[in-house]
Amino acid sequence: MKSVYALFDTGEAAQRAVNSLRSAGYGERDITVMTAAPMEEFEFSHIGRHSYQWYIACGGGLLGLVLGTWLTTYAETSWPIVVGNMPIVPWYPNIIVIFELTMLGAVLSTVATLIVTAGLGRRTPALYDPEVTSGAILVGIGTPRADGDVEQILGAVPGARVKTV
Amino acid sequence: MIRQDRLTRTLLKPLERPGVGWMLVVGVLAVVVAFGGFAWSFMMWEGFGLTGKRWPVFWGFLITNFVFWIGISHAGTLISAILRLVNAGWRRPVTRCAEVITAFALMIGGLFPLIHLGKPWLFFWLVPYPNRRLLWPNFRSPLVWDFFAISTYLTSSLLFLFLPLIPDFALIRDQSTGLRKTIYGTLALGWRGTTQQWHRLETAMQIMAVAIIPVAVSVHTIVSFDFSMAPVPMWHSSIFGPYFVAGAIFSGIAGLIIAMAALRRVLGLQEYLEPIHFENLGKLLLTMSLLWGYFTFNERLTAWYGNDVAEMNTFAATQTGSYSPLFWTMVTVNFVIPVIILSIRRFRTITGCVIASVGIVVGMWLERFLIIVPSLGHKFLPYSWGTYSPRPVEIAITVATFAAMALLYTLFAKFVPIISIWEMRAGAHTQESAPTRESVPVDARLGESHS
Amino acid sequence: MAHRWGMAVDLDLCTGCGACVTACHAENNIPTVGDLQASRGRALHWMRVERYIEGEFPDVKTKYRPVMCQQCDAAPCEPVCPTYASHHNDEGLNAQVYNRCIGTRYCANACPYNTRFFEFFNSTFEKPLHLQLNPDVSVREVGVMEKCTFCVQRITAGKDVAAAAKREVKDGDIVPACAQTCPSKAITFGDLNDPESRVSQLAESPRGSKLLEDLGTRPKVTYLAGAEFA
Repeated sequence: MKSVYALFDTGEAAQRAVNSLRSAGYGERDITVMTAAPMEEFEFSHIGRHSYQWYIACGGGLLGLVLGTWLTTYAETSWPIVVGNMPIVPWYPNIIVIFELTMLGAVLSTVATLIVTAGLGRRTPALYDPEVTSGAILVGIGTPRADGDVEQILGAVPGARVKTV
Repeated sequence: MIRQDRLTRTLLKPLERPGVGWMLVVGVLAVVVAFGGFAWSFMMWEGFGLTGKRWPVFWGFLITNFVFWIGISHAGTLISAILRLVNAGWRRPVTRCAEVITAFALMIGGLFPLIHLGKPWLFFWLVPYPNRRLLWPNFRSPLVWDFFAISTYLTSSLLFLFLPLIPDFALIRDQSTGLRKTIYGTLALGWRGTTQQWHRLETAMQIMAVAIIPVAVSVHTIVSFDFSMAPVPMWHSSIFGPYFVAGAIFSGIAGLIIAMAALRRVLGLQEYLEPIHFENLGKLLLTMSLLWGYFTFNERLTAWYGNDVAEMNTFAATQTGSYSPLFWTMVTVNFVIPVIILSIRRFRTITGCVIASVGIVVGMWLERFLIIVPSLGHKFLPYSWGTYSPRPVEIAITVATFAAMALLYTLFAKFVPIISIWEMRAGAHTQESAPTRESVPVDARLGESHS
Repeated sequence: MAHRWGMAVDLDLCTGCGACVTACHAENNIPTVGDLQASRGRALHWMRVERYIEGEFPDVKTKYRPVMCQQCDAAPCEPVCPTYASHHNDEGLNAQVYNRCIGTRYCANACPYNTRFFEFFNSTFEKPLHLQLNPDVSVREVGVMEKCTFCVQRITAGKDVAAAAKREVKDGDIVPACAQTCPSKAITFGDLNDPESRVSQLAESPRGSKLLEDLGTRPKVTYLAGAEFA
């Protein structure tokens, strides 16, 4: 079963195509929409929205906090050296290092989450057309239910350029 | 042939084959940078005595440059992160220019803790790595805090710069063939532009914008702690944290204005970097100039009223003594001239903003110098007072850092679009679709079609 | 009980002759940097004699104060060293570990007494001065900080001698080079934890004061002076 998609030049046409596909019974998971820039004003841009990124970032920050606390206290107690009449494990300056490592944890976990959940860095080629980055909007189905099914639906929208992979 | 709209064509034009002019500029800058590198190598070979440092002024030009460049790096954070968070539309052409300044200024500034060491080849002892000798760095030292802060900020800034680059790399990948396509394709990490990817990217950008602002504030505060944690007259002041952060943002915006004006002229980006952008940045610069003046006045008035003997000697050295020409120049170019130029609308043109910014860059460099050297030269025992004058290796290294910044920027603009194409496109969408939204009935109930 | 080394310098006895400076150079392998580098402020006088001149001729008064590392109990140079090269040892001395120093020079900036010095060049000892080098003290390479150690090599030697003779260290066993050389015996060294030692008694003297005491560094050198110096 070949993947089928169509390229549109305007957001309205793409929205019509998405609506047609939905009324033909294709669900959110099957429909792929690609754009050159986020088009928040159209409803189709909400496909695939829900994510846990904020929670994961907080989790990463917490990991950084734990790492920072452990690193400073372990290093300071394993080699207890008196400097300037300060305690061996002073919480005041340790807070600074702990803070930096917390933020680093949050940042790195955010980027890692992005790469994993956005499917970046994958080697297997997926549904794509180079015209997308020049401004065309791609609406397609990765695995159509029947031959010719999707071509018909997409072709019905004016301005579509239907292609198969 | 993939069709290109005007936006893409203009913004990808600088990525074409370099001409003779570009090669010449890069060549000259590279020579200056190499000269600086040679000066540093010579310094390491012959001994640290080639610098002008002396007893008791053990920090001079090199630490001035360190604080200065870390300060310049605060441009990207303010513009990119804060303006993203408040969703200010005018930020779109400016964000990448700013983020690039941050990344390169941090790389240059982060070199200085190595350059100024007596034994630079042992710099890695600042890193807490497990080793057989059970040696750990001293977490109570502000220099170790510097290491953590700057490496966190550098990592975060590079990622903050890279993430919005991914869609633009995908654009270039789709427009190229051969080796170029492979390289940009690898950098684009297989970006396709699905709605899911856009959501993830934008959420990630939001999270990073929220995270990077406290990091930036902490970085320059920690750099200020290099001074305020020592009992040196006029250093041991609680105002240093906010003072340095405000000064950093101040010098960062000035650096950004200069970079933007240069790009606008050289790359022909008049349509995208419009006078309104410079006006808005100019207003921000005015605010920071007033804030800088406020902090400086605060610090000096408190010292003057405090009448502490050692502090008053340092105070007098800058106010009326041997450092006074530098001090009053600094006040003029940091405060007097920018306030005049930037508060009068007629002068707040691109040229006016650039003139003010050049003055501010010079003035902020002087401010760092005047914080470090007069205080160290006038500590508590008059027998041990001393003056400092820079010697050729330090001047060479200073000049080389400015050349390095220009060089890195020039190279970057050749290989990467300096204005974020997808963000400009998204901004254009938001403007275009506003009047036509009523004509497209968009329904939240799935499965219904509307025509 | 652990030792706590301290010093007392009697400013009424000090003539400003500078023998202590020379002795310190000789004992601790401090190079002479030459007149060019000295004019550039690179001289390494771990012990220096500060000279203050008051009044107009012919009513001129000169005051001398030998200043060396004060071995502060709350030393500002210690917390700022990133590699623990400057730290406090358990006998109250501020120890400088040359091998651990990477030359950030933060400690020198933090020291209010300016008693820390930096090796700007590799030390050279022109012949025949190389014959005079002290084998108990290392020669520092370029890029490290150094300062007065209260002649820690003599302290260690004194403790070793006492341990070998199976006795405690007596007051007067350990004499740093400056104290040994001073012609007017202005410098006294000893254990502040020993109430019988001369330095403990001098530290309690009503003529005694500490240099820059109000900074809170808690220095262990007591300067003794009569009313006219203060």
